[in-house]
Amino acid sequence: MPSTRYSKRRRVSSPAKEEPPAYNSSPDELAASSDHEKYHSHRAPSKPLREGRGRKRSYADIYSANSTAVASEDSHSELAGPPRASEEIPNVLITAAASGEDSPDELDHTTPTFFRRPFRASFSKESRRPHEKFTSQSPSPPPYSRLSSPIATPRTPLIRPPQYEPYKEKLVLKGHRKGVAAVRFSPDGRLIASCSADATIRIWETATGKHLHTLEGHLAGISTIAWSPDSKTLASGSDDKSIRLWDVSTGKAHPHLLLSHSSYIYALSFSPRGNMLASGSYDEALFLWDVRTTRLMRSLPAHSDPIGGVDFVRDGTLIVSCAGDGLIRVWDTATGQCLRTLVHEDNAAVTGVRFSPNGKFVLAWTLDGCVRLWNYVEGRCVKTYQGHTNSKYSIGGAFGVYGGEDGVEQRACVVSGSEDGNILCWDVQSKDTLQIIKGHQGVVLGVDTLNKEGLIVSGGIDKTVRVWERVREGAGDSADPVGAAIGALKVCEQEAAGMA
Amino acid sequence: MNLALTDPFILAQDYPEALTGKLRSGHATCLRFNRRGDFLASGRVDGTIVIFDIETSGVARKLRGHTRQIQSLSWSRDGRHLLSSSQDSKCILWDLSDGTRVRIVRFEAPVYIAELHPYNHLLFVASLFEDQPMLVDISGTVPVKRQLPTAPRRLRMEGEDINEKQAAQDAKQSTCVTIFTSLGNHIIAGTSKGWLNIIETQTCAIIHSTRLCAGVVIFLRLTASGRHMVCNASDRVIRTIHVPDLSKIDLDIDDISVEVEHKFQDVVNRLSWNHVAFSSTGEYVCATTYMNHDIYVWERGHGSLVKILEGPKEELGVVEWHPHRPFVSACGLETGRVYLWSIVTPQRWSALAPDFAEVEENVEYIEREDEFDIHPIEEIHKRRLDLEDEAVDVLTIEPAKSEFEEESFSMPVLLDVGDSESEEEIVAVGPGTMRRKSPGEGREWMNGAESGESGEDQGTAKRSATNGTKKSQPKMRKR
Repeated sequence: MPSTRYSKRRRVSSPAKEEPPAYNSSPDELAASSDHEKYHSHRAPSKPLREGRGRKRSYADIYSANSTAVASEDSHSELAGPPRASEEIPNVLITAAASGEDSPDELDHTTPTFFRRPFRASFSKESRRPHEKFTSQSPSPPPYSRLSSPIATPRTPLIRPPQYEPYKEKLVLKGHRKGVAAVRFSPDGRLIASCSADATIRIWETATGKHLHTLEGHLAGISTIAWSPDSKTLASGSDDKSIRLWDVSTGKAHPHLLLSHSSYIYALSFSPRGNMLASGSYDEALFLWDVRTTRLMRSLPAHSDPIGGVDFVRDGTLIVSCAGDGLIRVWDTATGQCLRTLVHEDNAAVTGVRFSPNGKFVLAWTLDGCVRLWNYVEGRCVKTYQGHTNSKYSIGGAFGVYGGEDGVEQRACVVSGSEDGNILCWDVQSKDTLQIIKGHQGVVLGVDTLNKEGLIVSGGIDKTVRVWERVREGAGDSADPVGAAIGALKVCEQEAAGMA
Repeated sequence: MNLALTDPFILAQDYPEALTGKLRSGHATCLRFNRRGDFLASGRVDGTIVIFDIETSGVARKLRGHTRQIQSLSWSRDGRHLLSSSQDSKCILWDLSDGTRVRIVRFEAPVYIAELHPYNHLLFVASLFEDQPMLVDISGTVPVKRQLPTAPRRLRMEGEDINEKQAAQDAKQSTCVTIFTSLGNHIIAGTSKGWLNIIETQTCAIIHSTRLCAGVVIFLRLTASGRHMVCNASDRVIRTIHVPDLSKIDLDIDDISVEVEHKFQDVVNRLSWNHVAFSSTGEYVCATTYMNHDIYVWERGHGSLVKILEGPKEELGVVEWHPHRPFVSACGLETGRVYLWSIVTPQRWSALAPDFAEVEENVEYIEREDEFDIHPIEEIHKRRLDLEDEAVDVLTIEPAKSEFEEESFSMPVLLDVGDSESEEEIVAVGPGTMRRKSPGEGREWMNGAESGESGEDQGTAKRSATNGTKKSQPKMRKR
């Protein structure tokens, strides 16, 4: 039985190109399948496992609805494969790999239903265009109106608004034999680490793209990596249920593995002081490790679905975690208690979460194709970024900045991958799409930013790691309003091109 | 950053309530938090110093270099250096960035307490067993020791001719404890006859002396602000003292007055106190009791006892209060375990379920007029997206209230520190027979050339397990 299921799942094929489906077949998958059965037989909903070896997390597998899954037109070609009949368990449903024709109603497609909970809402295609204004005719105030302040664009007039300088491709790093699940800049910016479904981690030099090390030792695909704050140690979480620590300078693994999880590791984060490591797993557990002794320090309960992301706030006092149950929980590191739970009413599976650079907001990726910015103290969503496609994979992203020179305001942007192979960049404040970076073939799974250098690194299931560089168009340009206007126009064009 | 989410009732609590944890690595006799409060250094009977990470309750580093029991520990301001003093007559300044010994200073006698200058980690004072206290400058590789006076400065009006009896008495006094004031310009010394001397660091001259009590001054500690001092003396009274402002430019040394603010004592049981500590703000004073298992906590404002912390069934020695939190650590005399008291925070269930709120009493629910109106879903979404127009700032980092943010030193995380439980002092000597490892065993190489001399003072420096705090020694000697 497991093998048939797996073979079905493995049926996702890459686009027109004759590349072998990178991320979905691996010999150890079959070996591990008996384990899958063991660990998940008690949980019907968790049974269907992801095909993406590279990205562990094809959540849609788990949460896919009877209905067709969302896949924007762009992604149809990329994710081929007919819909499948559900397997023996009723709520185990079709994989979300939706081909172009299996969406019965293109205009009325819905987000994948979150299992066990009633489907409540859908995002229309129009609503993905965040700049499109909508005039409300409803006489009664919406119930949530009191939550939003009516202030509109309160910009400080003292400093000039910055000009967005688009990113251009700088390096394409090839070497992984399967899809790249996550990429991370080291905190000192010198190195890039990428992990892949081929069970290896590669360390690259940021400046030149030189391949420095291949870290081998995991027995299965690696879904997540995290740098220690001193940039000397790398932690990796794999489908072999182990977390390894690596000495990056030598490329050697630390002799002690962090073993306690009973299923795949999906998310890792180091504490800002580097003494603790938080790990989230498919087994729904969030563990806190003492890095020095590789001892399990604390287990944070209360997620009821695989954990998609975990992050420490900048002073290390809070941990945020998110799971397929649609909940984002904020934990106190010292006491291990849940301090806040954030939930969007759609209950879409949350696959990734990050604190803002100042630690006051939480950015969360959900499988309804949205990235939401939460004010976790007040417990409400303050911004929703849309325009990318995300219905199946756990996609990474990060905060970026632009501007910030003398007399120019520094603004933040959100950078995220997309399942259509693009990388999107939104302005945090206006929610406008600043740039659609094209280059990857297939899903972009990992994105990270290095703000002081103006770099983005991305990795996708096309097995490549790409480094994107912000193009500075001369020092005088940013001071020139005409130039800024032209820049804005360019952005619009790019955006239009992206939409088309 | 968790303050905004924490229950205000818990934040309002100032002192710990219950025993919440234990740390174990060998037999600890001496404790000290660093200023930031993330590390707790503990000195062991065998001379090893273990630095615990408070967040993980694990061992962050072990420092080996002493051969006998550690007597005192003192952190530098930035938390990078640690000064340890031991009964092996050595003081060692450690660099925690790599665990190396920056300086080793040897004395003629075992050290009671060595305290680093608050701003200069290359200057410290040490009070020695039956010897004059020393001000030691270790900025060069050869330490420069300056002897500090002990004989109190008596006011002139007591008579121009200091009578011989008094002079002889003064000569017999010894200094038991020396600490720096908050700025480091002065040293406060307590003597075996209950005198408190204020010594100018620059000149090493006593500028003021007060007699506090008839007993031995065992221990002195300042608050974080340096305006108050707590004094433990062998007359079973804990005194809190206003420290005069010594930084005034026009300071007249004859005007200095040291005022006792409160006296804490157990009148009924006549308990004596092993060790005292101030709370983080100085509002509370806590003390471990001799031949008893409790920690007493007094409020300084009213001078009243507010809490008796019950703990393990063992007498407690050194007690230390965390520099910011209501968190107390103390080490047991018999087992050498480090016990931790803090506040037990219950999980608020409403934090787990965002749709619920905790209310004090029943609230009648009033349904809004439009509560169950049905709107098209798309419209709701669009409206919601349009309402997301508030300004958000994800970049600006609020300046932290504490000054610790700019202090850049952070101790490197070592991945090869042994397990905190691994080093037991029990060694098997035969089938079924175990014996406790003698302190310093297996590390004779550390003694090096001075192994002969350290053998001699072993008898004097050794203390019994029952009344084993270092401070009780002067008392024993007097009797």
